[in-house]
Amino acid sequence: MSTKVLICDDSRIARKQLAKVLPNDWNVEIEFAENGQDALQQIAAASFDILFLDLNMPVKDGYETLEALQGVAGAPVVIVVSGDVQPKAIERVKAMGAAAFHKKPASSEDIRELLLDLDLLTQQNQLTQPVSRPHETAAESFSLQDTLQEVSNIAMGRAASALAEMLNVFIKLPVPQVNILEVSELQMALEYSVKEDSCSAVAQGFVGSGIAFEALLIFNDSSFPDMAQLLGMSQDYSRESETELLMDVSSVLVGPFMSAVGKQLNIDFSHGHPTLLGQHVKISDLINVKKTTWKRTLAVEIVYEVENYQINCDLMLLFTEDSVPTLEHLLSFLAEDEE
Amino acid sequence: MSNQADGLADFHWMFDLLHHIDVGLVVLDQEYRVQLWNSFMENHSGVSSSIAKQQSIFSIFSDLDADWLKQKIDNVFGLKTPIYISWEQRPYLFEFKCYRPLTSIADNMYQNVAIRPISGPDGRIKQVCLVVYDVTDVATNKMAFDAVRQQS
Repeated sequence: MSTKVLICDDSRIARKQLAKVLPNDWNVEIEFAENGQDALQQIAAASFDILFLDLNMPVKDGYETLEALQGVAGAPVVIVVSGDVQPKAIERVKAMGAAAFHKKPASSEDIRELLLDLDLLTQQNQLTQPVSRPHETAAESFSLQDTLQEVSNIAMGRAASALAEMLNVFIKLPVPQVNILEVSELQMALEYSVKEDSCSAVAQGFVGSGIAFEALLIFNDSSFPDMAQLLGMSQDYSRESETELLMDVSSVLVGPFMSAVGKQLNIDFSHGHPTLLGQHVKISDLINVKKTTWKRTLAVEIVYEVENYQINCDLMLLFTEDSVPTLEHLLSFLAEDEE
Repeated sequence: MSNQADGLADFHWMFDLLHHIDVGLVVLDQEYRVQLWNSFMENHSGVSSSIAKQQSIFSIFSDLDADWLKQKIDNVFGLKTPIYISWEQRPYLFEFKCYRPLTSIADNMYQNVAIRPISGPDGRIKQVCLVVYDVTDVATNKMAFDAVRQQS
């Protein structure tokens, strides 16, 4: 008898990658869902044995899905596969009924071992003749945006985990946004994400293998009191200690993020020293669009929030125009690898 | 035999390079003991490499804020990520005289410092490297610029 498996992830690449690494001697029928809502609908319509569940998704995320599954009779065994590797995330999903947690991307050996551990891959449901796994659709091409979003998603989980470890808190992770922006749109995007009048920012440059970009960490100024408290600074902290705080948070968020991106793309980036772009300035003064020479940029935007604290910071990666073709080329290899 | 000689020659010029590059390089182990101390550090601090080696960085520079720096270094070991210290948060980590005492307006060298994890052959992080950049010119220019902007 075949086992019915549902793979739920908002990224097409992640869905496809996971379907590919399932043991090919495992007698399974695979279905896909794009978010928690979609998965729950499919589970209500037909019974599934196993649900592979991502955590950070739009519409309904993994936590909400786990919550909704509690009390559902005949609910599938849930294996969370996520880029968010914070110990608290793992603890939380297990408390919510997930059978196991695995970090993204999982290899076929990892998955086999996990399934054996959970007693889900048994003699009864093994095929004598291994099959090649069907992909979601046969000739699928991934856009630069899709691939970069998934790469960022994995990298962001690593960065949040580093920050969470340093501060002993839980970082809420949203889905990273990947867009090609015109100069004028960048200003709008920044103003939209930073809702307050004043903010502080650190910029750091990266270059490697024909790809150049800046990582911009923008802090809402109202985040400072809580951040200072978390780092154990005294109440009357000075402007210098604010700078210190900014530099520390940017080191801890940007460093692991970049090494995770670099690892996936196989590039050892050179890091510039981070620079303080501005302290307590208006977002419009941060990047003066009139002075810029570039027209369009590829931007990845990630908003980090710390649970139970008034802390909100925005990480933006801005790629230079001439990096885009190279990046596209490298990412296409990555998408192909997963075929 | 010739291969061995080549290897030794490579090692020699690399060592020479590390020593005479115009940035400060200090390698520390997990007990904050100095493993490498290049000429930049020797010349600016007046402490020779042979004296610095195996000593704790905190006994060489007694004025360092030990708790503060230890936490930074421990984070680099723990999180395996570089951590940066900018002259804007602390004008300098090591108290060195300015390179150009006659034509520069600064008394001390302003420094940007990067603390980087160094991985061993087994991939584990047992040492960190402090890279000290002299940014006196940048800092004095920036401060002069800010002063003018505040007046206008």
